[in-house]
Amino acid sequence: MKVVINRWHAIAQWQWDTGRTDEHGDTEEDVCGICRVPFEGCCPTCKMPGDDCPLIWGECSHVFHMHCLLKWIGTPASKQQCPMDRRPWVTAERKVSGS
Amino acid sequence: MAAVYMRRLGKELREIETEAPPAGLRLLKADDFDTWIFQIEVLGDSLYRGERFALKFRFDNTYPFSAPAVQFVVDSQMRAPVHPHVYTNGHICASILGEDWSPTLSVISVCITIQSMLASCKKKELPEGNDTYVRTAPDNPKKTHFVYDDDTV
Repeated sequence: MKVVINRWHAIAQWQWDTGRTDEHGDTEEDVCGICRVPFEGCCPTCKMPGDDCPLIWGECSHVFHMHCLLKWIGTPASKQQCPMDRRPWVTAERKVSGS
Repeated sequence: MAAVYMRRLGKELREIETEAPPAGLRLLKADDFDTWIFQIEVLGDSLYRGERFALKFRFDNTYPFSAPAVQFVVDSQMRAPVHPHVYTNGHICASILGEDWSPTLSVISVCITIQSMLASCKKKELPEGNDTYVRTAPDNPKKTHFVYDDDTV
């Protein structure tokens, strides 16, 4: 039998490396704690997920959609604190994945 | 497209409807994204055993970046609990509804906080200055500048 490929579609899958899933081997809900949309989706004001709607990491280890976190930090009520632990928000250097 | 705050509230609502809310809480009304009402009772041993209250949430498009307006319903049938942080007009003095609000909190987490505020109450008494406050209070409790001076109850 001879198979001739006429056409093919390449499909790729991606997800953010939040650095917090594999360790526990659980299905920890990877949603942004502010908008409740999965990290792989985009914040409610964006239309396209991916590099246009990136994540932001705090030194406290908490992760959010960058736009959601910046919107919060921009409100006086935030007192510039992480919404999860109320510690002063310090953006972490983007870590280089070991894998 | 639905406003941003409605999408977040819609997610919360679906969660409440698909997974039963925590014990002692029941959703009474959520027909729109303006006003939701929960029935709230304190289970187990507490000063409020057998009492039922209604907790009203009002939202605007700043949610969840700003707290919802939360108060107990006071009308011909419902009364606010007698509690040192709850005024007889239903307004609640709780820091998470004001300066300690965080956008990672939710409607259910507010309900749970209020529930535990009631559960830990040692003595049923009205807040100091209740009468004066109730006479002059704005309709929306968020317009009141509360001073949070007591972390014990």
